[in-house]
Amino acid sequence: MQNKLLSIQEAVANYTWDGMTYCNGAALPVGSCSIAFGKEMVKQKRKNLNVICHCGSQQVNLLAAVGAMDRVEVAFSGLEVYGFAAGLNRAVTSGKTLIEDYSNGAMALRFFGGAMNWPFVPTNVCICNDQQWCSADYPDEYPCERKVPEITDPFTGKKYGALRTLKPDVAAIHVTMADIYGNAIMMGTEWNRFEMSRAAKKVVLVADKIVHTDCIRQYPNLVRIISEVVDAVVYWPYASWPQASPGLYDSDEEHMFYMNKMMKTQEDTDEYCAQWVNNWDSHEEYMALIGKDKIEKISQTETAFLMDPYRKWILSDAEIRELQDRAKE
Amino acid sequence: MEYTKQEFMAIITGREIKDGELIILGVGLSMLAGYFARFNHAPNLKPFTEGGIYGATPVGGLPWGIECNRLSANATSFTNAIDALGFLVLSGRADNAVIGAAQVDKYGNVNTTGIWDEPPWKTGHYNPPKVRLNGSGGASDISVGCKRYLIMASHEKRRFMDRVDYISSVGFLRGGDSREKCGFIGGGPAAIISTLGILRPDPQTKEFYLEAYYPSTSVEEVRENTGWDLKVSPDVKMVPEPTEEELKNLRAVDTTGSLRKKG
Repeated sequence: MQNKLLSIQEAVANYTWDGMTYCNGAALPVGSCSIAFGKEMVKQKRKNLNVICHCGSQQVNLLAAVGAMDRVEVAFSGLEVYGFAAGLNRAVTSGKTLIEDYSNGAMALRFFGGAMNWPFVPTNVCICNDQQWCSADYPDEYPCERKVPEITDPFTGKKYGALRTLKPDVAAIHVTMADIYGNAIMMGTEWNRFEMSRAAKKVVLVADKIVHTDCIRQYPNLVRIISEVVDAVVYWPYASWPQASPGLYDSDEEHMFYMNKMMKTQEDTDEYCAQWVNNWDSHEEYMALIGKDKIEKISQTETAFLMDPYRKWILSDAEIRELQDRAKE
Repeated sequence: MEYTKQEFMAIITGREIKDGELIILGVGLSMLAGYFARFNHAPNLKPFTEGGIYGATPVGGLPWGIECNRLSANATSFTNAIDALGFLVLSGRADNAVIGAAQVDKYGNVNTTGIWDEPPWKTGHYNPPKVRLNGSGGASDISVGCKRYLIMASHEKRRFMDRVDYISSVGFLRGGDSREKCGFIGGGPAAIISTLGILRPDPQTKEFYLEAYYPSTSVEEVRENTGWDLKVSPDVKMVPEPTEEELKNLRAVDTTGSLRKKG
């Protein structure tokens, strides 16, 4: 097996490009998401992105706010109790970003279909409603017949819809822990990360913890993302911040509201990026920016006990640095 | 005992939830109504979220989202969206759900996607909305698959419309048998619980009518705040005020008082 550890800068440089179809996981508005990876994409000035996600999250909010996103396919674009996603909403209402709406169930089916390498999946949702009739790709066709075309069950004659399946260029998937080869364990719900990891052409894991492969061999049933489909592993503790990572940290309530407020205007977005996105290179600088007190506060999570079985296999920063150097050889 | 409109709405919604039901809950009021019901009268309720969190009870206050650590802290299973929204909801297995609405119309269609000056169904064009909302999330799946579901909405004329700008989650479409023609496995919305009263669908026309109103309001006030000519049940009733026990049980879930900050 190949040691796939890669710095966040190299991972974004090697696996993202302008105009690509990019997919972020788990894309949960309050939970797990590869947010640090999205910030690095902003730093490296990626643009004209076609983004696919079932939910919005602060990553998509930011990519939209900076004007990096031409199009998004999504089921839920908000931040739940933290409010509507201000950056995304600004990009959508101004016409900068086209938004194609589906349901969360439909997005899961579309990833599943992509993983199967099928052209479409039959659906009983996103039919007979505006998710079928309204298409941002074909705005002058209402009701649109090309987005979720009607199909007939060959056995019963009953009508269904056909959902276009998803095979994104790259998925950057946040996981709780991974080994250096790309075997990963996720705490909390997977959402679509299992299907997404099989549907995407390339997969980059963004892991809060790196564990020894003995941990993977101890809990093989829990290893839902496998090294066979993973291209790179980025070690980045607190990668989901200001959102949460079950078992490790809660969402940063203060920063969630603050960040969203700053995404409302271009001017404030620029100010936010200057301070919180473009102001770090190393992980030490990233941690210093969040601040020691904040790190301590969000780490006191009620979910901490979930990590108990795995602690003895978690590698230290020094061990990981050595492995990162070895990966370059 | 004093209470807010939102608290009352959550309690009324909770009263509609039966013990033993397999129920999918969303963030905010939906979760509060569901967990209130479990504390109050439905100890065997089986709640889950659309990402597949099973067997959990919120700790430390209202969860910030359906995957918030306040809920992930004591789950019996974490699965995924294909399981929760596919195997349990779109398959027709889930009994009940509670969804929210920015706009709802006389046939129980829900809009949570956007607000237009001239909506797509009027202009024949899908232009960017004036206001982007959140999209449907899993509510669209719930509207298709759950045996029945409850809609919670703030009762205002601009929200209770003859026809919503955009159908994110299907109710009874244009009434009569129009939902049936789509072949959905689920039964559709069983009630709209608003900040003023309880509306139910007419069995034939599927148009929602006023079944009951809250002690703080009147039939006239409910009708004035409804964007269509709201029919009133001949046996229209006043909903009984929440009991102290009910408020106590609601506040045991809403420990951070999120429902007491508003209105």
